[in-house]
Amino acid sequence: MMEELRKVVNELLNELDGVVALRGSSEGVAPHLFRSGNDLSELVIVPKYPMASVLDLLQDADSDVRLGVVARGCDERALIELAKRQQVNLDNVRIIGIACSAEEAEECRCALPYPQNLMVGEKVQGVEDRLIAEHEALARQERLEFWKRQFAKCLKCYGCRNICPECFCEECVLEDELWAQTGVLPPPFPTFHILRAMHTVGKCVGCGECERTCPAGIPLTILYSLLRRDAKELFGYEAGASIEDRPPLVVTLDEVPIRG
Amino acid sequence: MTTDFEPRIIGFLCNWCSYAGADTAGISRFKYQPNVRIVRVMCSGRVSPELVLRAFREGADGVLVLGCHIGDCHYVSGNHRTAKRMPILRRILEYVGIEPERLRLDWVSSAEAPKFQQVVNEFTKTIRELGPARQVIQ
Repeated sequence: MMEELRKVVNELLNELDGVVALRGSSEGVAPHLFRSGNDLSELVIVPKYPMASVLDLLQDADSDVRLGVVARGCDERALIELAKRQQVNLDNVRIIGIACSAEEAEECRCALPYPQNLMVGEKVQGVEDRLIAEHEALARQERLEFWKRQFAKCLKCYGCRNICPECFCEECVLEDELWAQTGVLPPPFPTFHILRAMHTVGKCVGCGECERTCPAGIPLTILYSLLRRDAKELFGYEAGASIEDRPPLVVTLDEVPIRG
Repeated sequence: MTTDFEPRIIGFLCNWCSYAGADTAGISRFKYQPNVRIVRVMCSGRVSPELVLRAFREGADGVLVLGCHIGDCHYVSGNHRTAKRMPILRRILEYVGIEPERLRLDWVSSAEAPKFQQVVNEFTKTIRELGPARQVIQ
């Protein structure tokens, strides 16, 4: 698969200004802008990294640059959500879609482990998030105790927000004393985390970066998975499915009604 | 639970319909539970989740959001946002173990004094039964 990916990237570099992908070297793995003539043997795809954010940054610097991006299913979905919120311009972007392996899909409990623009790799079946069912089986008091315990671990490092490809606001309510208490650790239950959860609705593409980056190991994806399910149930909305779908919470009932 | 618990409820009422509805209830001498502290907002669409959570953080036992009926919004579609956002917020409360009944959204027009009375009385009863929110919210 890597051979094929490098070949595809190499060909596309003839027509693009560069391709965003991960580069592995003795110093570790980091996002990199591969240019024509670069050593593509350094191009890697693990560990996962939110490539949409990198593209966003690069386009901020130069909006006309023609870029390719090596994107997994979640990266592509994140790009689509960013595009409909005017954060990236996909007209200038070539998505080089890669499929995740069955093991990766399992690890992420990912329902859609491949992009629409699949160029390299074979599609594997999505995985049902078993943690949702487990969570749903808990009684209210158990859920309260569970999340109180989890959120009490929070260091308020903002890692979940900073790594999130969909968190692009210049000013964040989570840093505003008006809405989330500042200077208190752990953040008093449950305002901080409810605010963040609320802000993922209609945007969260299920990449799981928030949970992976959390130094306290808070299982944020359980909450966000539930909300992705709700967005689908209430508004028929699946983040990242189509650039045409309007973000449900910011448009009228005429544009996106409540179902049921 | 102590029997002398008096619920503290914050009611966010829109200027054009619900606040006028509360006014009509007052003028008409309708009796209703005195537990709701009314905050007048220009539109129920202004009631962000941030505002609801701030009310809880400041010690509200329940939050009542009242706006114009769908189709009657003074700003045409301000309440559409409220209609979508409150059910989601209620679900998040439910997921983290907080009774979603502590947050209620309803539509009250300026003429619906009896409905205002009924909603306030029902909601106060609900919160009275649930007990203080401090049990669950810090």
